Amino acid sequence: MNELFDTFSKAHAAHNGYMIAQTLSPVPPANQPHMLSSVWQSANHQSVQGTIKHLMKKSTSESYQSSLDNNELNGWVEVYTAYWKAIGEILAGESGKSSWTKVYDAWKELTSMLIRGYNNHGFQAWTIPSLYMVGKYLRLFAIKSDEERSRNSGRPQAGTTIIQDDFDADADKQSQLRDCEQHLKRIFTLCLTDRAPLEESRKWGIYFVINLLFKTYFKLNSASLSRTILTSLKAFNDRGDMPPLESFPKSQRVTFKYYEGVLFFLEENYVQANKHLTEAWLLCPRSSKANIERILIYLIPCRLLTSHVLPTKKLLEPYPRLQELFLPIAQCIRRGDLRSFDLALQKGEDEFVKRRIYLTLERGRDIALRNLLRKVFVNGGFEEPKEGNAASVRRTRVPLAEFQTAISMGSGGETVDPDEVECLLANMIYKDLMKGYIARERGIIVLSKKGAFPGTGV
Amino acid sequence: MASETTKPGDAAAAPADQKQQEPTKPTVLGEDDEFEDFPVDDWPENETEAVTQAASGGESSKHLWEESWDDDDTSDDFSAQLK
Repeated sequence: MNELFDTFSKAHAAHNGYMIAQTLSPVPPANQPHMLSSVWQSANHQSVQGTIKHLMKKSTSESYQSSLDNNELNGWVEVYTAYWKAIGEILAGESGKSSWTKVYDAWKELTSMLIRGYNNHGFQAWTIPSLYMVGKYLRLFAIKSDEERSRNSGRPQAGTTIIQDDFDADADKQSQLRDCEQHLKRIFTLCLTDRAPLEESRKWGIYFVINLLFKTYFKLNSASLSRTILTSLKAFNDRGDMPPLESFPKSQRVTFKYYEGVLFFLEENYVQANKHLTEAWLLCPRSSKANIERILIYLIPCRLLTSHVLPTKKLLEPYPRLQELFLPIAQCIRRGDLRSFDLALQKGEDEFVKRRIYLTLERGRDIALRNLLRKVFVNGGFEEPKEGNAASVRRTRVPLAEFQTAISMGSGGETVDPDEVECLLANMIYKDLMKGYIARERGIIVLSKKGAFPGTGV
Repeated sequence: MASETTKPGDAAAAPADQKQQEPTKPTVLGEDDEFEDFPVDDWPENETEAVTQAASGGESSKHLWEESWDDDDTSDDFSAQLK
């Protein structure tokens, strides 16, 4: 334990927040695998608080010149006492004498003590990485505790309890994570509402905590609650009461932009989703393949709908999983092959639904249809030039029958009813994917001479 | 994440292991799209996708995305069928 407080006092003297955070880690450093048990063994339940206070006073007075006043010292003593107890649960769990639920409860107490330190004991803003450390593991332990409980309740002893279990199963399954959300929210408020000048403000912790909350909401299947966080944040940003996002570390920015983008995606605001996901993508380090893959899973369907583009083989080359997901469907869209598109969508349905992109990809069928109709138009060639030197004009009066044949071919050969064809064409025109009108009585479609298929060069 | 037999004591190993195992693990519902923690807090501009893309061929975004239609695919078969 001496070592722990030596590190603490060094970190405190240097105002090194990340070093202080390290002293609150539930994971021993790689080069000292027995660190936790040695901390645990150097105190006992009766005297832990006194021991910690003594050791902390000793090491701070030895190596630390400036003042760690009594009030702040007492705050840290509370924190490390709670830490010591949590370590005890973790170690007890190693020999099967504790549970994740107890670990979570002990860690929650640590979280409370740390928050109290900022509210009552004058902890300074540079120490906020310790909030990151504690918050991060609070969430992980909550998830472990929930998993542990559903494993144990997954084996009902008596049939009679089953019905009751099912009743509020969803609410109960993640009750610890819901509880954890409350505490992360407290950290969020602690950072958001700090009134100290920006250079020494806890506001610098805001994006780390927001990202933890986003992950929590997504896991709780309540992604939309992230919106309330963004709304509170916006109020502060709008009045310039928050450092700009650009001044935060890139790891926090990328994660934040990813979740903001996915949130817009789920709200079907694909233009905004595209913007934020693109930012996340471009800022992501090249080496983080797994995270780039996650971004692209949403960015690809997004761009299909907003700018009608598809990923190239070169883009997908490093990601076999993305190739599997998107290449078949991309090929069908490009060819205007409706039947194969439906089959590809059906084949990947489980995977697409799981990744929440099914409904978006389904809308890609319009693009496939547009491409099919465009082929008919291109295939129709040009009008006979009326005068020798007039610029060539594409044939813009296309018989409905040609579209019908194409759509029938695209649908795997089955004949499609002319009424249905008209309906599909009307839909295309309504969605601005095609410009023109249906001359019903003449059985032809009159397409615009200037851009019959907007944005596609014809 | 944890196997059936995991005990709280594995906390030490578990979070670190998670990161390494995740890419190769089969997908679990809702779990897989959770963004991973980056191993470092910050990185220089020249390690980002944006700069790497720009370095590998100027207007590289053109090589990564393409139009959704295919002009070369107007096969004779297709036009024959239309007539």
